[in-house]
Amino acid sequence: MTTKILSFLGVFFISSIVYSQEELFSAATIPSELKYKANAVVRYNDQKIEIKAYNEILVTQKRIVTVLSKAGNSDVDAVFHYGRGIDIKNLEVKIFDAYGKELKKIKEKDFQDVSAVSGGTLYSDSRVKYLDYTPISYPYTVLLDAEIKYNSTAFLPGWRPIEGFYVSTENSEYEIINSSEVEVKIKTQNFENYNITKFNNFHYKANDLSSLKPEAYSPPFKTYAPVLKAALVEFDMVGVKGVNNNWSDFGKWMFEDLLNGTDQLPDQVKQEIKELTKDSSNDLEKAKIVYKYVQDKTRYISVQVGIGGWKPMLATDVDRLGYGDCKGLSNYTYALLKEVGVDANYAVIYGGRNIRSIDKEFSSTQGNHVVLYLPNQENGVWLECTSQTNPFGFIAGFTDDRDALIVTPEGGEIIHTTTYPKEKSTQVTKARVKLLNDGSLNGEVTIKTQGYQYALHEGIQNEEPRNQDLHFKNYWDYVNNLSITEMEFENDKESILFTENIKVSAQNYASKTGNLLLVSPNIFNRVTHIPTRYSNRTLGFEIERGFVDTDEFIIEIDESLSFDALPDAVSIDTKYGFYQFSITVLNEHEILYKRTYSLNKGNYPKEEYARFRDFVASVAKNDKAKLALTLKL
Amino acid sequence: MKKALTTLLILFLGYVQYAQDYDFGKVSKQELEEKICPQDSSANAVVLYKNEKISFEYVQGEGFMQNREVHERIKIYNKEGFHWATKKIRLYNSSASNSENLSSLKGYTFSLIDGKIEKEKLKKESIFEEEANKYWKFESFTMPNVKDGCVIEYAYRIKSPYLQIDDINFQYNIPILKYDLKISTPEYYIYNKLLNPKSSYIPKLNLTKEHNSFTINSKARSTTGGLTATKTEFSQSKTDYMDNVITINEVNIPALKDEPLVDNIDNYRAKLILELTAIKYPNKPLESFSSSWEKVTKTIYDSDEFGIQLDKTGYYEEDLEYLIAGETNVSNKITLIYNHVKSKVKWNGYYGYRTDNGVRKAYKEGTGNVGDINLILVSMLRSAGVKANPVLISTKNNGIPLFPTRDGFNYVICMIEDVNFNVLLDATNDYSTVDILPTRALNWQGRVIRENGSSAWIDLQPKVKSEETVLLNIAINTDLTVGGKVRENYTNYMAMQHRNRYANVSPDDLIKIFEKNKGEIVIENLEINNVKDVEKPLQITYEFQSNDAVEEIAGKLYFTPMLFLATSENPFKQIKRNYPITMDFPVSTKYMVNVMIPEGYEVETLPESSAVDFNNGGAKLTYVVKKSGKYLQLLVNLDLNTTLVLPEDYEYFKGFFKSSIEKHNEKVVLKKII
Repeated sequence: MTTKILSFLGVFFISSIVYSQEELFSAATIPSELKYKANAVVRYNDQKIEIKAYNEILVTQKRIVTVLSKAGNSDVDAVFHYGRGIDIKNLEVKIFDAYGKELKKIKEKDFQDVSAVSGGTLYSDSRVKYLDYTPISYPYTVLLDAEIKYNSTAFLPGWRPIEGFYVSTENSEYEIINSSEVEVKIKTQNFENYNITKFNNFHYKANDLSSLKPEAYSPPFKTYAPVLKAALVEFDMVGVKGVNNNWSDFGKWMFEDLLNGTDQLPDQVKQEIKELTKDSSNDLEKAKIVYKYVQDKTRYISVQVGIGGWKPMLATDVDRLGYGDCKGLSNYTYALLKEVGVDANYAVIYGGRNIRSIDKEFSSTQGNHVVLYLPNQENGVWLECTSQTNPFGFIAGFTDDRDALIVTPEGGEIIHTTTYPKEKSTQVTKARVKLLNDGSLNGEVTIKTQGYQYALHEGIQNEEPRNQDLHFKNYWDYVNNLSITEMEFENDKESILFTENIKVSAQNYASKTGNLLLVSPNIFNRVTHIPTRYSNRTLGFEIERGFVDTDEFIIEIDESLSFDALPDAVSIDTKYGFYQFSITVLNEHEILYKRTYSLNKGNYPKEEYARFRDFVASVAKNDKAKLALTLKL
Repeated sequence: MKKALTTLLILFLGYVQYAQDYDFGKVSKQELEEKICPQDSSANAVVLYKNEKISFEYVQGEGFMQNREVHERIKIYNKEGFHWATKKIRLYNSSASNSENLSSLKGYTFSLIDGKIEKEKLKKESIFEEEANKYWKFESFTMPNVKDGCVIEYAYRIKSPYLQIDDINFQYNIPILKYDLKISTPEYYIYNKLLNPKSSYIPKLNLTKEHNSFTINSKARSTTGGLTATKTEFSQSKTDYMDNVITINEVNIPALKDEPLVDNIDNYRAKLILELTAIKYPNKPLESFSSSWEKVTKTIYDSDEFGIQLDKTGYYEEDLEYLIAGETNVSNKITLIYNHVKSKVKWNGYYGYRTDNGVRKAYKEGTGNVGDINLILVSMLRSAGVKANPVLISTKNNGIPLFPTRDGFNYVICMIEDVNFNVLLDATNDYSTVDILPTRALNWQGRVIRENGSSAWIDLQPKVKSEETVLLNIAINTDLTVGGKVRENYTNYMAMQHRNRYANVSPDDLIKIFEKNKGEIVIENLEINNVKDVEKPLQITYEFQSNDAVEEIAGKLYFTPMLFLATSENPFKQIKRNYPITMDFPVSTKYMVNVMIPEGYEVETLPESSAVDFNNGGAKLTYVVKKSGKYLQLLVNLDLNTTLVLPEDYEYFKGFFKSSIEKHNEKVVLKKII
């Protein structure tokens, strides 16, 4: 009797789960607040991570997503990488219409199976299977069952209760079941502001999380959205066993198991580099010679196969082939520096214009790029080894101002890279122009850039003349009928200063009404974009890098013209930045226009966004200010 | 004697000066020393030599196999040219017997070190094979030791079971200094040859014949009878035949560089196209393939994935009956069926005039490629008694085919040829309507196939103007802010473009899009009407408040009456053009502006009314300004009637835009009433 009741209960229990799932197949059951500003709703996401050994993990995922509009198709997220120690055991998808009626069943063999060679990479052995489904109508719902086996466990799947912008979450659950001896580390971020239940350190559930939407100037998603990171203390990286109690450990493992022995060089190269540096008096000078040697000899080619995705190519191979990826080229440079007695460390980092740090509080496999660090130099010198043209020690715009993992024989260490404060990220524009009485102008402009602004400008020198011409026409897009008559570039890599000398002319620059000519004296450096307006700003804002622009333009007017009205000087000082301009009359026919504009790096609260926007708007307005000239009749 | 010597010497000198050894591996010091390409100083790399040989080899049991041998020598001047040292070759790879294979790859990088030529071999470690997907694989390789000034050289062979020969491109975006091509095709296969007449570079073809032969080994068993052993006899039979040979030997082929607003730069590339048009084996009748557009069209029409699909009706009969029940008006029937197909079958993003899954399956599952969807449309219309026919099309990215070939088409739409209608339909886009096709289909001409199998060209170029009509009412306030209302109307292609752009944007984000690039503005009460109602013009209305539209200089007010609607930037910035500008459709924009002058001010200067014309009405701007009491009225019309601007007209056209934009930005000056 007891058995019977029990089994009855069991049946009841099971069927109730099935029933509740079925309910989720229909779009009609979505709570209305979750539909607000959402392209898709994660109805149910249950991810179970079974850790069986340091090199064996089974991840099972059941996922139900209702897609509300075309932009939400990618939120189904039925994309599975495999190869390199990751196997797909099971994949199955069912599609339901708006009312929860099953439309289609898609098996693993019907997934698209393609090579996962990303842009910029020549070859990689990674592959991907993804769902290629054309929706018939919206909304529709996808049920996904997946089972993935990881023998390479360096990346333990984490959890994002809110998966991205414009996606809300009805139910999402994450659990790690650890039946192994290996310790698992967990870090949660920003959980406090969201409806997330913690069952224990390894088991969480989120309910009814509304979507987030992107806003201009907002800091990166992960800094305010809830995120869970997980890592194994012992792991496997494509067949190589790793240790990860902390960054020190992890770094030591990288040094011993990935780097050690890859830095041998052919004897003839050792001789050559010693010969080249023999007269150098200090390490910095030697390092510069080595850096130039590598730049002249190598180029960037990315090939990622097996552990080669993490272990650098042998220095001897880089030497012979003349190419390598960031790991190979950094390691090769490291080997050469070592040969001439200069200390250097291999450094793992996130490369990209947006600043992203290695998480110093949570050791795990992180980063997407490798550079070199010279520890014994003043303030530390960082070397980008994948560029053939970059000035020595210059990293602005790609790896500046962020935490990196330094790999040393003693262990790993987190060090912050060089920052370029606003005083060092400068742009100085000087011009001398002549304005004729038909409203046209001609003259010469010089733009000198340093720091981060150097990184923004120097690329133009390598473009073909046709594109250089178009670049300046777009750079000064508010000057119509612009002709670039001469261009000349100087790249001073020693002091990291880029100079552009440009001769220009423009017809009808001044607008003529009657015997009046209206002229904007700010010809060569205008702010034209005003930050997006939000009636209800929800996120704080960030100015990632500060800068200072200074401008001095001497404008000479034709003898038949005279100055009629000049705009008054303006000076605006805010915590976000500073702006001022002034006009000085030099003589009857010449004025000097001076301008300064700077922004201050920082994170600011959402309440201040409108004030920041007002500041930029007044800059844009003042940059358009006009003076009036009278044509003598 | 003496004379003979000098002649010899001169000859010899001349030889030294001009001789270049194009044999594989014979890279010269001069080639390595060169710092800049004399033919094109802007080139970062140059193809010093390219040799390509295409021939067919008889393989017993498999027939003629195509061999394509490529040898290239490339000079790399600087780092911007380094990517020429990496090559990715795409090969068809659907099954073992239907695959193209690359073999005999060899390569070297040559550098000059201390005046000596050194070479580094391309090895296996730098060669990669990637299975991209079900159909394609990539063979990639990257040359070792690439530095400024080096010369790379490589050669490989591609074996293919196909008789179809890929197009031969004579132009890269770097110059080719010397190109030798030899194509030998067995006499049994007849190829049509065509050089791209639109290219400004036309290579010269030489046609000859050469002897060739193949041998078949055969084995025959004979039994003499009784208990005697069987005997195997080997025999060989040799067949002689002629090869048709095309040779091309060109020097100094200029680079081909893309420009904005070119329909497809490939349409201007120097290339040789070979189309297999017939097979004639000895003692067999001639088997002829496509050789005229009529024939191509007929072949397509007769194929299983096309004409036969049009005849299937069972799968939709019930739906159709219900859909048009009681409807007698042809125009209404068309609308009903067109909308039904648009909502019933969604486009999966794939092109093709053939059906992918077949019409029945596509209809049932609700998704299909272009062929599936538009053939369903044609078929349903026909079943409803409408004279509908399919039209074969080559999309913009497929380019303009140079001669009759099935690959010349890659898309199909529907045409209704009724007494009262002569319209085109495409059901693959939610916002296309009658005669308003997705712009991908607006290329070259279409080939309509009628029910009796006959076919004819039709023009695809839109003739009807797409209109933008904007009504702007503004009032200048005493604090110099400007408030106003805007009403915008879009028709035809303009309406489709705006629908595609705005349909999936939330109202919140729409305001941000509209506020963008309008200076210090606040937009409110933004409404977009008729987004789904595609038969009607798309209508957008909003109110705004602008803080930076009026400038006060020395007590006078200056403003552009078109405010933020004025075009401020000339879209044509290039100094000169090499290729025509192609625009999709003719456009007519009308701006009607009413300005209320603020209290206490009067007009000092108004812009002059005027008209600007390009190429006798090809484009036209009219600008009319009037004052009546407290109000200013402005009427600005810009018509772009032409959709093609030739390079020789470019400067004139750019000048037209310059004048138009200057007119757009002219200012009204107000002064205080004293």
